[in-house]
Amino acid sequence: MSDSLSLYIDRRSGLHRLNPLTKLTVAGFCLIAGLSLPGLLSGYVLLIGVLIPLSVWGSVSRAFLGRTWKVVLPFVISVILIQGLLWRGGTPLVAIGPISFKQEGVLFAVTSVGRMLAVVGSFLLLSLSTRPDSLMIGLTQHGFSASVSYIILTTLQIVPRFQAKARQILDAQRARGLETEGNILTRLKALLPLLGPLILSSIIEVEDRAIALEARAFKRSGPKTSLQVLHDSAPQQAARRLMLIAAPLLVILRLVFEVVR
Amino acid sequence: MNRLQREFSTLTLVTIPVAIAINIAVGTIIFNLKVPLYLDSIGTILVGALAGTWAGALTGLLSNLVWGLSRINVAYTPFAAVGAVIGLLAGVFSDLGWLRRWWKVILSGVITGLVAAVISAPIAAYVFGGVTGAGTDVVVAFFRGIGLGILPASFAQGVSSDPLDKAISFVVVWLIVRALPQRFLGRYSGSQNLA
Repeated sequence: MSDSLSLYIDRRSGLHRLNPLTKLTVAGFCLIAGLSLPGLLSGYVLLIGVLIPLSVWGSVSRAFLGRTWKVVLPFVISVILIQGLLWRGGTPLVAIGPISFKQEGVLFAVTSVGRMLAVVGSFLLLSLSTRPDSLMIGLTQHGFSASVSYIILTTLQIVPRFQAKARQILDAQRARGLETEGNILTRLKALLPLLGPLILSSIIEVEDRAIALEARAFKRSGPKTSLQVLHDSAPQQAARRLMLIAAPLLVILRLVFEVVR
Repeated sequence: MNRLQREFSTLTLVTIPVAIAINIAVGTIIFNLKVPLYLDSIGTILVGALAGTWAGALTGLLSNLVWGLSRINVAYTPFAAVGAVIGLLAGVFSDLGWLRRWWKVILSGVITGLVAAVISAPIAAYVFGGVTGAGTDVVVAFFRGIGLGILPASFAQGVSSDPLDKAISFVVVWLIVRALPQRFLGRYSGSQNLA
């Protein structure tokens, strides 16, 4: 699991012990709440009031904060600059020479950042505290397609291997004299001798994978025994049902709110 | 081998993770180069062309979801619907036989790009405030600078970068298909569309 693509960090915490489906529902609910609650600060309230406490409970708060910040930072810079400075006909707030930050633009940027924090934070929390295969097993046991969970798990495993192969091919081509430093045009031209072998060899591999899957009776119908046992509890089931009902209600309420305004 | 040829779905099933990995690998390289392109749907279009509309749509959908669950770029998840539509359209154009001639390939890409722009603009505008932290933000800045609103600016950015991006992606897929051995291609249900 160490070189797979997932963000999962192993900890002995209450959050980690929860059923993966519960965590998935919480992530989905926070996502929808973050997007549908009105107000400037709703995204931040969700982050500080719900997501960060949960990350502390899960002993992953440092990773959570670090990653959220890393992901959101380029976006924050972009949105404050673009929407803050270029908002048409806004009231100027702070002037920097001939251009100024407009109030409406800055407020909009702040709201957008809040929403983005809610979206990114919920999924990040889910990924940090849930093993991908546990999540997939949980979903499959509730009727989710085994084929789709195979696809997701295999992709998570393949991508790092892909990137390692890409580096290998890049080194091989460089040893043959491929120029990879320099301006954008040089680098773009270097892409083709890299991508060609990478994509073609990976696609040919597909045939072997299909045979392997067939040999493991993947397509056999009926329930399969899993090595992992997932724990569930009545309070968790009740909480999940509650969130599944509350989420669409939030969306409807917000739409009504907008129409009435 | 006979059984494998009848069970097309298994072959499609194993192709999809590889296609998603291609999406992520190429998309990440381009993202880091900060050019105003995405090139993150090559795998999706490939699956749509080889294995049909629903396989393509599934690839596009899962591609965005897995990318969001991964450690690379958590911000891609809301665009899952766009990915699904791209895969679907690739399958449609394949069935229409448009992926045989290079100029129809380019046209398929342009149309797909326009549809993708229409669908992704509201998502970018509402969830991301019109910017995504990618190289294409420069284009959004330009349109905002000349006075367009948030949604029109996102839409204008989409319309100016997506058709080109998808046209290039479709051409790359066409080149890949031409480079693959016929023995391999023949196993896919869509292969007669591409001969």
